[in-house]
Amino acid sequence: MRAPYMTRLGLAAVLFAAAVAACSGGNDDPPGGDNPPDSGNHDSGTPDAGDSGTPSTPDAGPDAGPDAGEPDAGVDAGTDAGTPDAGLPEGTVTIPNKLSELGLFTGSPATSDFQPVAGNIPYELTTPLFSDYSLKSRTLYVPAGKAAVYSASDVLDLPVGTIITKTFAFPADFREPDKNVRPLETRILVRQPGGWEAYPYVWNDALTEADKAVGGKVFKNFEFIDAQGVAKKFDYLVPQRNQCQKCHHVVDEQDNQQLLPIGVKARYLNRDHVYDGQTLNQLQHLADLGKLTGLPPAIQIPRAPDAFNTAEASLEIRARTYLDINCAHCHNPKAQPGITSRLFLDIKTTDEFSLGHCKRPGSAGNGVGGEFDIVPGDHSTSILWYRMNTEESGKMMPEIGRALRHDAGSQLIADWIDAMTPRTCK
Amino acid sequence: MNRLPLSRVSRAVLVATLGLLAIPACSDDDDDRTFASANPDPGPGVPDSGTPDSGTPDSGTPDSGTVWPAEFSCTDAQRTTVTFNPGQEQALQNEVNELKPCTTIQLGAGTFRFDNAVTIRQDGITIVGAGRGAQGEGTGGTASTVLDFSNAASNTNGMDVIGKLFTVRDLALWNAKKDALRVENSANVFIQRIRTEWAQENNPDNGKYGIYPVKSRYVLVEDSEAYNAADAGIYVGQTRYTIVRRNIAKKNVAGIEIENTKYAYVEGNTAIDNTTGLVVFDLPGNPIKGTDILITKNIITGNNRPNFASVTTSSSTVSQVPAGTGTFILASRRVEFVGNTWGDNETVDIAVLSGLSIEPNPVLWAAAFYNFASADVSIHDNTFTGGSGGNIDHGAPSMTLRPLGFLMSNLYAYGKAVHGVERVEHVLWDGIDPYPRNETIANGVNICFVNNTLPASSKESVVDLDLMAVTAKLTATTPDPTGAWAETRRYNQGVAPFNCSGFSPALALP
Repeated sequence: MRAPYMTRLGLAAVLFAAAVAACSGGNDDPPGGDNPPDSGNHDSGTPDAGDSGTPSTPDAGPDAGPDAGEPDAGVDAGTDAGTPDAGLPEGTVTIPNKLSELGLFTGSPATSDFQPVAGNIPYELTTPLFSDYSLKSRTLYVPAGKAAVYSASDVLDLPVGTIITKTFAFPADFREPDKNVRPLETRILVRQPGGWEAYPYVWNDALTEADKAVGGKVFKNFEFIDAQGVAKKFDYLVPQRNQCQKCHHVVDEQDNQQLLPIGVKARYLNRDHVYDGQTLNQLQHLADLGKLTGLPPAIQIPRAPDAFNTAEASLEIRARTYLDINCAHCHNPKAQPGITSRLFLDIKTTDEFSLGHCKRPGSAGNGVGGEFDIVPGDHSTSILWYRMNTEESGKMMPEIGRALRHDAGSQLIADWIDAMTPRTCK
Repeated sequence: MNRLPLSRVSRAVLVATLGLLAIPACSDDDDDRTFASANPDPGPGVPDSGTPDSGTPDSGTPDSGTVWPAEFSCTDAQRTTVTFNPGQEQALQNEVNELKPCTTIQLGAGTFRFDNAVTIRQDGITIVGAGRGAQGEGTGGTASTVLDFSNAASNTNGMDVIGKLFTVRDLALWNAKKDALRVENSANVFIQRIRTEWAQENNPDNGKYGIYPVKSRYVLVEDSEAYNAADAGIYVGQTRYTIVRRNIAKKNVAGIEIENTKYAYVEGNTAIDNTTGLVVFDLPGNPIKGTDILITKNIITGNNRPNFASVTTSSSTVSQVPAGTGTFILASRRVEFVGNTWGDNETVDIAVLSGLSIEPNPVLWAAAFYNFASADVSIHDNTFTGGSGGNIDHGAPSMTLRPLGFLMSNLYAYGKAVHGVERVEHVLWDGIDPYPRNETIANGVNICFVNNTLPASSKESVVDLDLMAVTAKLTATTPDPTGAWAETRRYNQGVAPFNCSGFSPALALP
């Protein structure tokens, strides 16, 4: 409890108090009555502060949500990616116990010939999510006869049967990132008829196979040498299936969480990649393969910059891009932590308060560097920076997927906050 | 130190916000609904494993009448049971990530050691151990099951649940990295006979919450224990319909916390040796306006533990509570205290505060219809055993960390020296609501204090602190303790204006 400091409240507060005296919050049915119980949609009717000030563009939800009910008459034949089981909806991908059985890769890391098959298309992001410095290789498989639908701002609308893979690996020494690379896990996101599903596969010690590990795995005291030659040791956490949803979700109208991908958005895919010795724009390549429809002319496609290339964009845009890809899957108006904290770090949010300027957190806990999410002009008292910079359990952000500080990311956000017009927030 | 004074809030925002007040939601007044009969039913088929605490009444008592609606139910055909014993942690983790609805997970006696959270995202799940063991036990015995998270990856909770019809009972959650039991966005939740604990006392790096159901509906927490949490031992927040009964909370910063919650029935709990024992409050920015809280037959004594969450740059509410606060309510309304026992709380037994004391900008309370004001607090037929209010903030007040305690300490030092007032009265009201203070309307907040049993040594029982005026006088360039003291008013039990008979309509008691 703080001492009150209200000497300047004045008439407006009186008006508020008087006007609200007759109001009651919420809208509940009593239990045990004739009415059905509160269906869970309990926030309706309250003003949604997060949407104010932002343009009424559609959010990620509509495009990314499950299309259950779509008959999906598309022919699935000719693919290796699982066969529908009898009794399951058409198009259901069977999830095998071994990664190799998905048929999306040939070879193995043990023999240094682990490669995606034709049709399982590698891609990179302009700015990736930081995951304890792991090297990530990504592939996108869209079933034969089907294609993704372009979206300018949201996750691409990917058809049933789509499989996204991401393999996490560490070189022994980041000064030689191509040598002694050890993959730890391959995560897959599968677009089933009922929506997206996520599964982790953990590579065995021989690196000959990755086995489905729905319960996750912790590589205790995992070690590598970083790009500066400093030895790092930490617990690398392969998420449990249930934990995938922590980042990969959107809260729907019924207040349920629906899984969805994060990175496969046009602005992060809009970059070059080398395919068979040829440098091609990734989106254009997908379109050329017939795997992406509705792609506008290149000039109209948004592009998120490489957040760490000063030549590509301003500090402001690079910092906001970093926050968007690292934080906004939770901190947006349709994800649970965003709904709870009212801190929105997605690229669409323009309202400074929702971005954290002089915003007091609802419950940040103790010793998190300051009283406000962002104190413009002073990163050292900004909770947002503190939580990104710290390695303390219970204080660091993101909640999952990071045990180590991302030095460059932390510095970028510090520079961004320090470049703001200073405010005391008092 | 002024925080976002209204004068700096743009006029446009004010106008827009005032406009919101006119929307039809204002007429949507449901405060006249009857209070729920508290009679949850865990449903058939839940195994009633050996009760380690025989002697305490089981669930289902003490009430009759309506039953909470079930948002999910299991048929007998759906129910299956899987059993795991210590050593099978990875198998258990695999199982809980592919659970079918209506699965019961039976955990054998002993110690399960986890390197990650136990996450449940399914409906109809029951997880049952062999018993919760006793305080201080970090390992399970022949009749107890301990889930030990001492070596879990950082930033993970102990048990982390989203699901309807969830039951957890007869186990202990030990040394979780964050919250011991977090249940979110769930309905029909039964938390029975569990224990959440951290090994070290007074450690600010302990997990914040022991038992933490949040944003849920129809939540029962009973016969459970919570120790050493760095925020709240037992927290029920942002929830509609809850029963919290017969629990024990000790050595936490806050023992039991009811936050932004509607329809809470809090009975027969013991909150001893926390910084603050049992608290009810709304936080700004949350869409649920807490109301209709019954606090009955609880023991809230000796809560004098120095606030170990109170470190610099703390922003949580409880980190600023002075040690020795038995109960505080803040930004809360329609709260009835009956049959409880307070005593030996060195700052005060009960404080009734305005939400404006922690967030003075009303705009930031917009999410729940400007719920900053406390109102309608009925304190009757309780027992005050004395020994409270004589050693504010356990004798170690801090202006920077816990300013309210610091101001009170200075004020009462003067009161003791000059007026012989030895102790803070049993009930402290900050005198703020309804804001702004109108000296011609006594008790506009409607606090009623009647028919309580008081120690023979008690003088006045209720103080109207007029905190704003006191703060101004004590923090002036030349502090004016005489003037500050003169702003305060003290009242005996049974005299106007606090001799009122509660609020209307009354809570419908089960």
